Amino acid sequence: MKALEISSVTFSYDKPAGKNKSAGQNYALSDFSMEVEGGQFHALLGPNGAGKTTLMRLITAQLKEYRGEIFIFGRKNFDKRALYDIGYAPQPVSVYTMLTAQENLRLFGVMAGLADEEITGRSAEVLKETGLVAYAEKTASVYSGGMLRRLNLAIALLHSPKLLLLDEPTVGVDPQSRNHIYETLMKINAAGTSIVLCTHIMEEAQRLCSTVTLLDRGVTVFSGKMSEIENLEKFFLEKTGRGLRDD
Amino acid sequence: MLRQFNELFRKELKILLRDRQTILLLFFMPAALIFFLSLAVGGMQADVLIGRKIQTVVENRAQSPKANLLENKIKSHKLIDHKVRPAGMDNDRLFESSKVQAVVVIPGGFDEGDNPVEVYFDPVIDAGYKAAVLSMLTSLTVEVVMGIDNLDAVVANMIVEKTKPNREFPNPLEQTVPGFAIFAMFFIAIPMSIIFLKEKRDGTLPRLFTYPVNANLVTLAKLVPYYIINIFQFILMLLIGIYIMPYFINFSLHWGGHPWHLLPITLIVAAATTGFGVLVAALARTPEQSSTLAALGAVLMGAFGGVMVPYFFMPLVMKKLAMLSPVYWAHQAYLDVFLRGAAFSVILPKLAVLTGFAVICFYLAGRKIKWM
Repeated sequence: MKALEISSVTFSYDKPAGKNKSAGQNYALSDFSMEVEGGQFHALLGPNGAGKTTLMRLITAQLKEYRGEIFIFGRKNFDKRALYDIGYAPQPVSVYTMLTAQENLRLFGVMAGLADEEITGRSAEVLKETGLVAYAEKTASVYSGGMLRRLNLAIALLHSPKLLLLDEPTVGVDPQSRNHIYETLMKINAAGTSIVLCTHIMEEAQRLCSTVTLLDRGVTVFSGKMSEIENLEKFFLEKTGRGLRDD
Repeated sequence: MLRQFNELFRKELKILLRDRQTILLLFFMPAALIFFLSLAVGGMQADVLIGRKIQTVVENRAQSPKANLLENKIKSHKLIDHKVRPAGMDNDRLFESSKVQAVVVIPGGFDEGDNPVEVYFDPVIDAGYKAAVLSMLTSLTVEVVMGIDNLDAVVANMIVEKTKPNREFPNPLEQTVPGFAIFAMFFIAIPMSIIFLKEKRDGTLPRLFTYPVNANLVTLAKLVPYYIINIFQFILMLLIGIYIMPYFINFSLHWGGHPWHLLPITLIVAAATTGFGVLVAALARTPEQSSTLAALGAVLMGAFGGVMVPYFFMPLVMKKLAMLSPVYWAHQAYLDVFLRGAAFSVILPKLAVLTGFAVICFYLAGRKIKWM
């Protein structure tokens, strides 16, 4: 079964309600399609401003007014059950720094519909997986950048989602934390969780992912198997150009 | 749904209460303002309410029977604290020393009506005192000249004061306790808008919406803690005013005839202040902008509304302008309880204005607010 199915999605921040495309409008995504099979580790790559984060927001139903369709395990992404299937670690570290790791996990656990016992059990597991057990009762404001990233991931993993969306999960972390995150992700993927990874680190994508979608200026420029690409960085630059992207 | 609300509510409260600056702003600031400004206003109003004596030098240059009688009457009057002029000090130096505020000279030829009584005032003396001293001197001079023993007793049946004693003029605690409690309640807009914008900026708020969470539930869970804190702010300030301040100041805060009226007033004032907070959160784009907007709004509304400068001291134009401030309506509603013992029907229009303010704030915020 397909974990994620995106068909002809068009979205603009100028006119979010746009049901029809209109001339002169800037589109963050234009007739964008993508598929991720169940259990796949999929890389979503693109230069700055390509539309990756917008796509993540569309999948997680933060942005609602778009043209096209998005399905999560066969259900429309607005469906409550579809949202429960998603675990999302956004690009900015989105944790409550005035709360402890445990309190953050409890809050998001309740939002994800977990029972109290499940929250207790799963919190212990994800804290262990992300190496935060010793700091579970400390407020996140004292965490290092790497620890915050790991907590960001722990929250996404808490409700054992079937589809994990990761938006640059290793930005600004040291090699030790990065390696820890890689190992955690590989373990989770091996256990059957589908993962979509947005990253600018080509080595990371090539090491972890089996399939790849290359996105630029809101459209797909490549979609295929990672094994078909010899040097991902070179391939990326060939497909998206060498010019600087400041938008 | 209730579980989600409960968790979001607890989250909001924890974040708010773990911020020491917020606690200082919401609880310590108004308590300190009430303490210091009650003492300051107390010193100022004590003269008016208790009746300060005017330090006065009385010089009798006539030394005639009528002049002597007038001198004695002046010296023994309750408004006068008689002082002797130090040797070699003229009036200017006397006033500069602040030891004397008035000099009364009964000149030679007073009995014959050749020369009038002369009065010199310290140039900085309050106009009210000046008028009181002049009125007193007029009465006493008329008594001496006309041979009347007690003019006040003669006119007592002609003029009767019907005002309830001190019922229109709040004492320092009646002024500052509700005033600064309301002021602080409006300051809730600062943490409220900052936390909202910070959560929007750091992505925690958008992240909540990646779960099946109702936006109205999130809104409600964000509002209720601030609403409750507002009520606690008022209760705390009230307790400080009633039980602590009387140890430091010679005034007390009365519950008024209908203390239960405080409940609907406080509930509606808290709705208005929370509404103001939501509006600031919706209008501001950054936490820095929101703190400036909220503080400026609260200070201006407080200044116009009669908290910083008491309403009864304001000129007529300012009194009219004060009505534009919700703080004015809130303050007057509380004064209706503490001071005037007013019926609920008197308070109701003020509550209607505050409710209108809250509704407008929530409506505008609802139209403007962006969750992402």
